[in-house]
Amino acid sequence: MAEITFEGVTKVFAGNVTAVDHLDLHVADGEFMVLVGPSGCGKTTALRMLAGLEEISSGTLSIGGRVVNHVLPKDRDVAMVFQNYALYPHMSVAQNMGFALKIRGESKDEITRKVAEAASILRLSEYLDRRPKALSGGQRQRVAMGRAIVRSPRAFLMDEPLSNLDAQLRVEMRVEIARIQRLLGVATLYVTHDQIEAMTMGDRVAVMRGGKLQQVAPPQELYDRPANEFVAGFMGSPPMNLLRVRTAPAEGRLALAVGAQRLELPRAYEASHELPTDADCELVLGVRPEDIEVVDEAGSGPTLRTRVERREALGAEILVHLALVEAGAPSSVAYDEDVAITRPSVLVARMAPQARVGVGDVLNVRLNEERLHFFDALSGVSLARGTA
Amino acid sequence: MPRLTLRRRRQLAGAVFALPALVLVLGLIGLPIGQAVYYSFTQWDGLTSTWIGPSTWTQAFHNPNLWTALQNNAWLLLAVPFALGFPLLIAMLLHQRVVGWKVFRSIYFLPTAISWVVLGLVAERFFAYQGTLNSLLHVVGLAHVNTNMLGYESTALSALGITFVFTMIGTNTMLFLTGLATLDTSLEEAARIDGAGRWRIFRHITLPHLSRFIQLAFVMTVIALFSALFSLIFVMTGGGPGYATTTMEFLIYQTGFAQGDFGTAALYGLILFVLTAIVGIIQLRLIGSDE
Repeated sequence: MAEITFEGVTKVFAGNVTAVDHLDLHVADGEFMVLVGPSGCGKTTALRMLAGLEEISSGTLSIGGRVVNHVLPKDRDVAMVFQNYALYPHMSVAQNMGFALKIRGESKDEITRKVAEAASILRLSEYLDRRPKALSGGQRQRVAMGRAIVRSPRAFLMDEPLSNLDAQLRVEMRVEIARIQRLLGVATLYVTHDQIEAMTMGDRVAVMRGGKLQQVAPPQELYDRPANEFVAGFMGSPPMNLLRVRTAPAEGRLALAVGAQRLELPRAYEASHELPTDADCELVLGVRPEDIEVVDEAGSGPTLRTRVERREALGAEILVHLALVEAGAPSSVAYDEDVAITRPSVLVARMAPQARVGVGDVLNVRLNEERLHFFDALSGVSLARGTA
Repeated sequence: MPRLTLRRRRQLAGAVFALPALVLVLGLIGLPIGQAVYYSFTQWDGLTSTWIGPSTWTQAFHNPNLWTALQNNAWLLLAVPFALGFPLLIAMLLHQRVVGWKVFRSIYFLPTAISWVVLGLVAERFFAYQGTLNSLLHVVGLAHVNTNMLGYESTALSALGITFVFTMIGTNTMLFLTGLATLDTSLEEAARIDGAGRWRIFRHITLPHLSRFIQLAFVMTVIALFSALFSLIFVMTGGGPGYATTTMEFLIYQTGFAQGDFGTAALYGLILFVLTAIVGIIQLRLIGSDE
């Protein structure tokens, strides 16, 4: 068991493509670290560098305090679970799981004992004699896990191990992998593009975009205090609503111009955020779908007048797409993979299925005044004080 | 008339559809085999045949040339491991994407595109007393090793075997490269992380993956060895010196066309057919047992 440290690790591929740009990341001993980001963000490259499957262009990578930049994969003592499982097709489940031990030169009895032990943890005992092709997707996934844990490695590396499973199995295996990792207490770097996996499995989550690390934090902190617009838009489903607004202070009170509408803000934000004090400064306002509620006209707090554009019933909840009614509505920002797209402003609100909302209705909605987010309009960096 | 069940009708339709193929197979393969069996019981000069019973069979097995030819075939089988081993080695190297691998790939495949008659001529010039091999030996200061491989009974078969290996390299290399291209690279990566070095990866990952391709190459090589050497032999040695390079295939030609004894030639043809079939069946069994 060991800790993992990336110090300024960079990977430049042929053709001058920078896949990973000065990555600094520390995974503590026994920690479950999830590396999340859209496809092409460099997360898999980072993992492959840790495994020794890719050369490091610059920086220092260490496992358990030992620099491994030029150490061969076989000498790093890490185990990896591949996206396609990479099970050896001509070997039985037991042989697949025992392969690394056999190479290490352990005795047959020892191998049998360790494989049996891992198989019982993974509920694979009755499949030990089967070939991979005679197994279901979920079973193959468990064999891939078994091959990793049987070695008692110093670190687990997992490359989107659940992406080939159907939705229900994915939920089961999510719990299963997290359980086994906690049982064994081995430092784990888990790569995924699925923010739900990131939220539910990781002790901490590292968000990457375009080869650069955006934020590392425990899942709830990432959700509650995103460091920038990208993290805010990436974590959460549906993502945070991001509106381009302008400051409009009046009588010493903080307020925003949301298109032609005015949004009064509580004074508390002056202390917690570095909001511009001048009038007409552009910034991005973020509000989570669950922080929007329908109110009567008389309601207090920051409210907006909106029209219902679309209504999506998800069973336990409904998603209501709201357009601002007044003309001159501001644009909002959305992220498609890693390109920011500006589009006409629509707010998505999460409501209880009982809410009597129909397409075309004009609603007054109140934003939860304690849970608003502000980002710099140019850099996208959070304006909250005390975030990196 | 009672209506046929769906099952019966399907079977009937299947049989009707299979009929043309069956006729072709029987006509083009079954009939000639049957004819060969018939002619092996006759005295046949190519025009008229006279039934003479099993005497051809008893005489043939007392003919020392038959046994020499069978022996030559058996000895040539020793070339098969080389005809598979070298291509495997070359394919592994090319698969590593060594510098200039595309050029090398073309070079190794070239012999496949050239007629075996031409290859035979080149080989004949290579092994000849005043040929390339001796020139090369001379250049490297081994002039005293002067060889004449095609001139002696003891070495002519080896020269033929070496030429055969050379002609098979292109096809088998391509086959193995195809096999390697279908190998999932993540398997190799998984093995590297599991602690395996180059040899272990080859032994435990690459080789098992290639087994199908190796089996196919083996069958093709053995069949080529039994039934495609004619042009090489004809050009290089004419079956000699003596009967040193006469294989079953060449013996059939000599017996039938040079001596006009088509009855005996038909019998030799049957023997070769059975030998080839045995190799094929053994291989099919091996491949089948893997499933």
